[in-house]
Amino acid sequence: MSFIAAGFGAGIIALAAAFGIGMIGKSSVESIARQPEAAGDIRGAMLLTAVFIEGVALIGAIVCIILALGIGQ
Amino acid sequence: MIYVVRRALATLFFLIVFGPVLLASNADTEQNSAPIDVMGKVTDHDYFELIFGAKVYLPRMFYSGGEWYFFRDTYSALDSGEFVRGEEGGIVRADTGESIAFDLSITSHLIYLWLSLILTVFITFMAGRKYKKGIGRDSEPKGALLNIFETLFVFIRDQIAKEFMPKDKYEKFVPFLFTIFMCIAFMNLFGLLPWAAAATANLTVTATLAIITFLVTQLNGTKDHWKHVFVFPGVPKWALIILTPVEILGLFTKPFALAIRLFANMLSGKIMIVCILGLIFVFTELFGAAIGVTSGVFWVLLTVALYFLKALVALIQAYVFTLLSSVFIGMAIEEHNHDHEDSSVANAKDVALQNH
Repeated sequence: MSFIAAGFGAGIIALAAAFGIGMIGKSSVESIARQPEAAGDIRGAMLLTAVFIEGVALIGAIVCIILALGIGQ
Repeated sequence: MIYVVRRALATLFFLIVFGPVLLASNADTEQNSAPIDVMGKVTDHDYFELIFGAKVYLPRMFYSGGEWYFFRDTYSALDSGEFVRGEEGGIVRADTGESIAFDLSITSHLIYLWLSLILTVFITFMAGRKYKKGIGRDSEPKGALLNIFETLFVFIRDQIAKEFMPKDKYEKFVPFLFTIFMCIAFMNLFGLLPWAAAATANLTVTATLAIITFLVTQLNGTKDHWKHVFVFPGVPKWALIILTPVEILGLFTKPFALAIRLFANMLSGKIMIVCILGLIFVFTELFGAAIGVTSGVFWVLLTVALYFLKALVALIQAYVFTLLSSVFIGMAIEEHNHDHEDSSVANAKDVALQNH
């Protein structure tokens, strides 16, 4: 049962994180295309936001690993 | 001359990378039933693994039952008769069966932490000595070490510290950010060696780093920072009932997320590589040796690609940790003047006037 939960959890996390990072990538590429001289600033902001999404996704991934390994049962 | 050096380096690289593989067959056959110990590659050990599968057992010191114990290694602790192996591989007291209360033993992760600290200090002092002599100040930087040092240092100062901190205060924090970047980068890069382990794949190490960042952030917090935490300016009084607990919680979630991020990234990298190499054994078991070995070509290629990704991730995670530390410190040491909306409007007007 915990394997199923972990598998589904990891899938949902991957979907959500991919969606979030995709949105960031899309809008930052659009912004850079619109204003190439601000590429440096935009890249910094993009990385910072992507890192926050990654953090949330990884906390979810850790929960899945804990479920799959059966720690604390 | 350069060819000799290059050939020697290539041979050394080959030996370092493939030595453990070639000698793995006559290495100790442990009681483990699985062909590869996946978690064992990333978890902490009481021994330090050398290049050719040789293990150096590290000293143990711990506090148990109101007394300090010192042993040369785990086996001498077991031989003394006071401790036996527990169910999870650790050692427990022989008489009561309780686990060790307070373990200060030297472990493999600690060794890698020390190594990266020593490397950081070494590089910094070498560069500092050269700068004192005038190389790099009066002339251009000379030698690989000084060039690498200067590139990294200027990168940290301009791209990380200056960017996210107030212009008049950032200089104080550049040494801290540089140290934390170099340490994490070295620890992560040690994880790329096949026999070594990344110390940052241990939650204790990353939590310690995050706590240091937390302390630096809070101890340098200005009056404005604490005002924003306890009494957020510019909101109605009743909103503070919700806002203040959230802000206080926010103080602690930031370093927590910092620790978890680094830990999970470094843990997942090695596990992924070991698991993909383990697919060779899975395929051999399922479809026979021929298909297993043939598919091995594909898995090894995938592993090579993953190694490059991991090298990239190692540096990116060091950068991200430093960046977020810088952002948090920058937020805490900022002094707000609460008319910045007006000034930004004025700036925009100036810019618009200049453009036309």
